[in-house]
Amino acid sequence: MSIPTLQGLQTALSGLLAEQQAIDVTGHNITNANTEGYSRQTAVLQTNSPLRIAALSSITGEGGQLGTGVSVATYTRIRNTYLDAQYRTQSSGLAAAGTQAEELQQAQGAFNEPSSAGISSQLSAFWTAWNSLADSPSSEAAKVSVVSSGTQLTGTLHEVDAQLQMLEGQVAQQYAAITGPSGPVQDDATQIAQLNHQIKLSLQAHQQPNDLEDRRDLLVDKLSALADVTVAKETDGTYTVSFGNGAKPLVEGATVNWPQALTAAAGGQLGALLELSSPAGALAKYQTALDGVAETLASSVNALHTATPFFTGNTAATIAVAVKPAEVQTSSTGAIGGNDVALAITGLRGGIVDQGYAALVEQVGSDVQNAHNDQTNAQAVVAAVGNQRQSVSGVSLDEEMTNLITFQRGYQASARALTAMDEMLETLISHTGVAGL
Amino acid sequence: MSDRITTGMVAGSTLADINAAQVAMARTQQELSSGKSILEPSDNPYGASQALTLQSALDGFTAYEHSAQDGISWLNISSTALAGIDNQVQRVRELLLEASNGVNNHSDLSNIATEVQQLTEGVKQDADTQYAGQYVFAGTLTTTSPYPQGKNDVYQGNAGTVSRGLGPGSSVNVSVNLASVLGNGKEAEDGKLLDTLRTIAQHLNEGTPAAVEALASSDLKNLDTNLDALTSIQAEAGAITDQLNLAVSRIQGLQATATQQLSNVQDANIAKVSIEFSNQQAAFNAALHAGASIVQESLLEFLH
Repeated sequence: MSIPTLQGLQTALSGLLAEQQAIDVTGHNITNANTEGYSRQTAVLQTNSPLRIAALSSITGEGGQLGTGVSVATYTRIRNTYLDAQYRTQSSGLAAAGTQAEELQQAQGAFNEPSSAGISSQLSAFWTAWNSLADSPSSEAAKVSVVSSGTQLTGTLHEVDAQLQMLEGQVAQQYAAITGPSGPVQDDATQIAQLNHQIKLSLQAHQQPNDLEDRRDLLVDKLSALADVTVAKETDGTYTVSFGNGAKPLVEGATVNWPQALTAAAGGQLGALLELSSPAGALAKYQTALDGVAETLASSVNALHTATPFFTGNTAATIAVAVKPAEVQTSSTGAIGGNDVALAITGLRGGIVDQGYAALVEQVGSDVQNAHNDQTNAQAVVAAVGNQRQSVSGVSLDEEMTNLITFQRGYQASARALTAMDEMLETLISHTGVAGL
Repeated sequence: MSDRITTGMVAGSTLADINAAQVAMARTQQELSSGKSILEPSDNPYGASQALTLQSALDGFTAYEHSAQDGISWLNISSTALAGIDNQVQRVRELLLEASNGVNNHSDLSNIATEVQQLTEGVKQDADTQYAGQYVFAGTLTTTSPYPQGKNDVYQGNAGTVSRGLGPGSSVNVSVNLASVLGNGKEAEDGKLLDTLRTIAQHLNEGTPAAVEALASSDLKNLDTNLDALTSIQAEAGAITDQLNLAVSRIQGLQATATQQLSNVQDANIAKVSIEFSNQQAAFNAALHAGASIVQESLLEFLH
């Protein structure tokens, strides 16, 4: 069998077309260099089926295969699913640490320490007022100052307690907003389900839905900041997405199962919010400790101020000064110039009340510090994994430029091959068979 | 390090580095402008709780120093009053010796008696000395005059004591027990100063040989005993003043130590932070410069 005369033209044409497609892909990459979640794509070039030539050699009679050019087998997106899984794990850890750090930082702000307006300074001013009263027990002004510094102290205790309470409320609100019907979980899950459907249809039609898959992966990345996410890729190309520690998968094929109950073990921002607002969470713990400070303050002062209780209430929210200036007791005998009670209360400075409060401040401080450290570490890990992912999937403009030149030259070369063929045929058509004319 | 560096990676990491440099600089700037290394408890949780404790202790030292100074003033006023009483009693003693030399007639003695009565009132006036509106010799009944002017010499105060705090659980009694020297007057017949003074005046007014005799013997003896007692409470007041002065210098020493400690815990080391700041500035400039040149550079610059 001989080679068809025009085969060479077809081969050169396939080169032209393939290079053109490769240039198209390069253009797609370049235009999407800054698109979030985009994975670079390559046109996978493949040789065409060869032409069988039964007896190439007239001497040996052996056949051969003649190449017929090139075509684009598929467009592949370059992506490492292992790095995706790693990135999502770290991203939920980072979001959890970030949320903790942010909320605890606010709790720390509520205490406003060290400052002249914090509980510690007010407590100190309260003891100093008792000291002044001990110096002039019959002074009405000194008694007024004891009562007003006590009122200021209890007022600050109320304020800090109220701010912690408010923070707890904000945390719960934030959780409700994220998990609500118009929240990001519902939104992202719905879009993933839609993409699952489209991807499945594309695959059934033997089309590689690279860009749809990128968009779906980006949505899963976003979900991974909200809670721990695991993804299983089904044989039909759809994702089954487990979210937090929900009982059912969040997305299964084209179905969305939301809302679902999550617990503090859900991870990510939602897990951190649940943990913060739980009865065993940091905010509740601070409130309990602050109540403890208020209770020791009330009980230790009242134990010395025996005529009438100086403070009523035994929580940070309820503690209040119960006496009028005239009822402030300075001596155990009731003598106007006696100051043994005032001296004893002065002696409470630096005692269990101050120590309890300093310990609470230290606790809050070290919680915030730990949360910040966790956040910094998680940030470093996420950055590292993100870089690895970028290293695999990201578009390098230098590389694309090089590819562009390569493919352009390839195109030019194919065109030159076509010209050569054409010239060959020209010789055949125009310059042969004219003998004797 | 990755094998393949993409345009996005370069831009991202440059931005992250510039951000990090800025965060570090902002922190250092805060330290410099506030002069504190602990701006929030999370900067140094243990240090922050230490700073709170030290600050409260410092406030306490200031208050206790104030109390001690107040006690010193109280005792100074008391000592002045005691010295006044001492002077007047010494004058009575001189008059007593003068009256008992046997050459005075009845009217001389009567004049002396009048002076003794005046001196007695003077003693009672000194006993009514007040400090900041409080009677210093009335025990804890500080708003009651212990020895009101007039015939009644009975002590109106009580046996309570007034103290000044010098530290938690440590206090000093600043009440001088003048009533133990002055007593309750003639009716009580307690042989104390007021009893003695009133008896002397009575004997002078009587002017009988027996009375004059008594002036030289029992009255003089009683007066000397009372003077001894007065001297001893004066010494006591002096001793307590010394104790308070010592306490003040001890508290000031503690204050200095606590201030130093507090500064060590919470104040920024300006020299160190300034050098850090210059380093950070240099790093920030370098990051900006590198970012500007690396991010712009690409193959595109060289293709035509």
